[in-house]
Order: sequence, then structure tokens, then C-alpha cells
Amino acid sequence: MILGLIRLNIAALALMLIVYFVLSIWSRSVRRKKLGEEWDEEVQTGDRAAYVEEGLEDYDQSLRRKLILGVFVVPYLVIGLLVYVMNFQ
Amino acid sequence: MLRYLKYTFWTVFWVLVLSFLHYTLPQRDIVRIVDTEVRRVDFGENSIFWAQADTGQDNEGVNRDVRFINAVKENGRIRVYRNEDTGWGWPPYFKLDSSNLQTEAADLVSESRANPQWVILTHYGWRNEFLSIFPNAVGVRATDDPNQRLIPWFNILVLTILAGLALGFFRMTQWFRREKIDPILEDVGETWDAVDARADDARDNARGVWGRFKAWLATWRGKPRV
Repeated sequence: MILGLIRLNIAALALMLIVYFVLSIWSRSVRRKKLGEEWDEEVQTGDRAAYVEEGLEDYDQSLRRKLILGVFVVPYLVIGLLVYVMNFQ
Repeated sequence: MLRYLKYTFWTVFWVLVLSFLHYTLPQRDIVRIVDTEVRRVDFGENSIFWAQADTGQDNEGVNRDVRFINAVKENGRIRVYRNEDTGWGWPPYFKLDSSNLQTEAADLVSESRANPQWVILTHYGWRNEFLSIFPNAVGVRATDDPNQRLIPWFNILVLTILAGLALGFFRMTQWFRREKIDPILEDVGETWDAVDARADDARDNARGVWGRFKAWLATWRGKPRV
């Protein structure tokens, strides 16, 4: 029981860490591109690089950024739900 | 030649993916249970098609007792299921209640052929006589109608999520190629073009056995009518 659980947790954590980092980098890169395009099309005043950096700082504080942490929460919720439905219903 | 390698690769890939999903995802049969039993199984070449001892028990032995549920479908075909814990391992059914399931199944045994108690039995896995493998039962509930149509909502949901994940993964590899690999490739682009040109020259010079064979095949084709 304990050994199996530990093995499951290690595998799940390793997988979730990879997914978390890849998603974070990807999402930030997409945000950076969008901010650049926004400056090109709408703002067009001031420093483009500064505009992008400022936008990225806002993004780092945003809810959207924190939603990526769901990568660690959702699988455990699904496991919990499955254990309940499969065995205790 | 490379094209045929590619076709072969993708055929093998999809056969593997689809059989993996077909083995792992749950399916439902409407059956009447005729017997439940426990018998010892010695695992051999087929050991990857068996799950594990009940969660918390010793899992080291080369043999152990396995619960079985024997059943018959409405059309008379027989179905034999094993009933094992999947525990915390693969596939992720998190099934810990094999003993309870065996009791439920025993409770639903049909008393006679004339008076059948139909049940919807959820299972995953395959029956294969050559390997002596059995699908693993994961749930059972009684029903009155043996001919009802069961819609696999759970599988539809899982396959939709998997397709979404695959699409996301594909888009991410595209992004990775565009943002991270293409800039590097542009730097070495000129060198690459030179290598490419040289390879083209080499290919023109030596058509190879396959190319000559295909050219020979082409001579059998009708000439295009003008």
C-alpha cells in the first residue's frame, strides 16, 4: 500500500514537474509574442522592449499564470474522485 | 523508399496506440453471472497481462490466488473475467475493492438459465486463449434489459481529453521548432544549403537499386495520352 503509493507519487510528481515547466515557458513565450504584436499594432509609442517587459511583469502576477499550478492539483483531484467512484460507490 | 518507411512507422504507431487504448479503456458487457471462483495462477510469459496482489499484500511471489467471474452473454457466448486489484499501479483504475466486487458478483449469480439475472459488467483488458489472459472486471450492477444500448460516455470524455492533449502537445512542438530550433537553423542555413546541394548531386549520380527498380516498373505503365 505505502510502497505503491510512494511509487505513484514519485512518477506523478516527475511528470507534473515536466509539464509545469514546459507549460510555464510556453505560456510566457506566447504572452511575450502577443505583447510585441500589441505594441506593433496599437501602441506604437515609447520603447517596445520596455512595454513587453512591463506586460510580462503584469503577467507574472496574474491569475492566468497561477492557473498553471493546477497541473499539480487536478491530477490528485481526479485520483481522489476515481478512488471514491471505483471503490466506495 | 523513405516514404514506405514512413507509412510503416505510422501504421505501427497507430496500431500500438489504438490497441493500447482498446486494452486500457473500460468496456461494458451485459451478461448473466454463472459462477465466481478463486484459483491459483502461475504467471509466466503472460505476466504483464496480470495486475497485482491485493493492495497492501506481498507482491513478490511467482504465483497467487486470483478471483474469477464466469459469465454468459445473452447470445450464449461465454465471458471469463479475472478480478484483481489494480491498486496504485497501471492501468489507473485505482481498484482496491476486488473482494467487495467478488461478493457483489456472487450475490448476482443467476439461479438458472430460465430465470437470468442480467448485469452490466464493466471491465478492461482482453481475453486471449493463446496467452491465457482475461479481462479484469472493475464494476458490476444489475439490470433488467439485456438488449439496452450502452453509450460509453466515459470513453468519449477520455478520448476527447486525450485528443485535446495531443493537439496541445503538437502545437507546443510547433512552437518549440519555430522559436528555438529555427533561429539556430537559420544560422547554419547556408552551410546546410551547401550540404543539401551536394546530397542532391550525389542522389542524381546514384539512383540506387530501388530507383532503378521503380524506373523499370514505370516502363510497364501506359504512356500518357496527349
